[in-house]
Amino acid sequence: MQEQSSSPPMRAAIDIGSNTIHIVVARCKPDDLDIVEDQLELVRIGESVTTTGVISPEKCDATVATLRKFEALARQHNAEPILVVATEAIRQAHNSQQFLEHIQHQTGLLVHLISGTAEATLTFYGATYEVSREPASPKRLGVMDLGGGSIELVTAKNLRIDWRISLPIGSGWLHDRYLSTNPPTLDDLAVAQTFLQTYLAGIRIKWQSSTLIVTGGSANSLLLLARRAFRLDPTSSKLTYDDLMHCEGLMAALTAEEISQRYGQPLARARILPAGALIIRTVMSRLNLGEISVSPHGIREGVLLAYERFGENWLERVNEEDSTSNHYENTSIQQALHPYEPISRRSGSEVDVGRDTYPPDRVPLSSPASVQPAFIDTGKRMLEDRVDKLLAWTSEVLKHEDIEAVHKMRVATRRLRATLDAFESCCEPKQFKKTYRHIKKIADLLGDARDTDVMLQGLHVRLEQAPAEERAGIQWLIQRLDVYRQQKQKALEDFFAKLDQKALRKQVTSCIQEEVSHHGKSQTHPGT
Amino acid sequence: MAKARPIQGLDVQAPTGNNARIIAKVRLEEMYQWERYVDSPSHERELHNLRIGAKRLRYTLEIFEDVLPEACKPFVQELERIQEELGALHDSDVMIALLQYRLSSSEGGAIYKEALAEAKQQHEQFELPPELLTNLLDPAAAPTAEQRRGLEQLLLKQQQRREEQITTFRRHWHQLQARDFRSELLSILDT
Repeated sequence: MQEQSSSPPMRAAIDIGSNTIHIVVARCKPDDLDIVEDQLELVRIGESVTTTGVISPEKCDATVATLRKFEALARQHNAEPILVVATEAIRQAHNSQQFLEHIQHQTGLLVHLISGTAEATLTFYGATYEVSREPASPKRLGVMDLGGGSIELVTAKNLRIDWRISLPIGSGWLHDRYLSTNPPTLDDLAVAQTFLQTYLAGIRIKWQSSTLIVTGGSANSLLLLARRAFRLDPTSSKLTYDDLMHCEGLMAALTAEEISQRYGQPLARARILPAGALIIRTVMSRLNLGEISVSPHGIREGVLLAYERFGENWLERVNEEDSTSNHYENTSIQQALHPYEPISRRSGSEVDVGRDTYPPDRVPLSSPASVQPAFIDTGKRMLEDRVDKLLAWTSEVLKHEDIEAVHKMRVATRRLRATLDAFESCCEPKQFKKTYRHIKKIADLLGDARDTDVMLQGLHVRLEQAPAEERAGIQWLIQRLDVYRQQKQKALEDFFAKLDQKALRKQVTSCIQEEVSHHGKSQTHPGT
Repeated sequence: MAKARPIQGLDVQAPTGNNARIIAKVRLEEMYQWERYVDSPSHERELHNLRIGAKRLRYTLEIFEDVLPEACKPFVQELERIQEELGALHDSDVMIALLQYRLSSSEGGAIYKEALAEAKQQHEQFELPPELLTNLLDPAAAPTAEQRRGLEQLLLKQQQRREEQITTFRRHWHQLQARDFRSELLSILDT
């Protein structure tokens, strides 16, 4: 059928991943997609690659059958071209070349085996195209694509990628390595978590954002599971750390079959979902994030947008963009399997130096403290995190629309003060006192506002139930407290108008200084 | 309540979990220094300090959650409950104090100034915001006779409510002591 000049062209993109083969058919513009088909099959090619190093004949046949089905689907919509990419499991397979030739011979489809960097870039395009059209898209954000065989993590400023990393650990991979019992045992989960924490602690992640968009099948299935099991708002795409903890608890209690039946998940997905939840939660912990946004879009949408933007040479252009970036880091599967090697023996990745390192078979799981970062390093990270969380509430407090914002910001000041208290011994004393006073001042301002909000809230409830003789008194008190609350709001506005947030952040984060750490070395607690 | 006690004996280069245990134990002791006031409902300030002690211990267990034993989590929930119970009690104390000031004050003149001065002095120990007092005692916005009667009813009910709140808290606290909350948490922190 001839394309109408007024109608955007119909295209199809298929990606052959470690867990799934997934197709999207859409009418495409360079910055927008009208998706008409979105289907996937769980083929789990990565399962065979993880165990044998090659793609088995059975997986090869299943792939061909799925591609034929998807090709027919694309043809039904007159999609042209059908763009096919393959990712981590195929990159790792020893027989990837034969596999790709076999597919082309059987289906006529040309499969592009893309690099981890191209995968990260394309996923970023796909996961952010909706955000980029919002008027107030975040200045800094990150995108994590959790696949079956790898994680691609990208950070961007003003929607331009400025750093990315590809980690060869995915939900299918973690499941096959550590979590193959059904349901996973607590011991297996503890081992998997120790592996992830130690591995991620050794990787320097240039993270400066509070927004992380997570894409991939596991993330979307977890969102669905959380909505169905815990009745989350079906219109929200947010998942909190606690939501993931609850999902993990559920999946440790029920078999994959029960999860599948009760919550409408494909069985193959339900099996690998505990691994997906654990990875996302551990990454959140590493990045000090309380919540993530889940996007249904990813690499396929990115492929379609790249084709619309760059034409036939789309993949070359994406690769060129990657090669001009100085901020790409990649880790090999060997590093994932042996993340405890001394840092000096690794190559290609920027990692923190000076951490305790252990061979994988000697990680003392019974004493997890021995793989924890040093107290002072934890302090630096926690203070950064706490001050960012505090400042993130500023605009909501100033809007004065939801009284919970003041409460949450006040709680954030308490947590920051508790963190300062805990790490006082690592801090430069004068800087500590000055900072503590500054935070206390913010806490006091918020406290006055919050306490009044609580009183007002309680009085409004009472007013509804109060007998007539009491009502006049309650109304008088509400009126006086309203006046006082307005004064407090003005005080908050005046304070935050003068507050230099960057300076406050610097003040808090510089409380712990290197020379203090040297000083600290001489301190020894009785237990060491 | 004074600023949290500085922690002695930390090794800044040691694993975080080791130090977290030391800090948590100090915060536990800080909270328990106010225990003797649990059965003294009129010690508003000391009960408020107990609440702050519970809050500090709770936040310590929370911020070091990843490096402390999993068994600490139920303690966080108990502390949160204590904090809420004592928080409600404190809110009642503030409301009662405000109403008492309002109802006992005359409209303007020396007595009004005396009330404000007393409130300022009271603030040192009880956290009554003087600006709020100024607002409520403002002679230009004094309540009418009908409104005063309403405030008297409100005060009466608030006092009854406080009785219920202190009973609820004490019952909970003694439940925790019956199972030796303090030793239980200490032994977990020692593992």
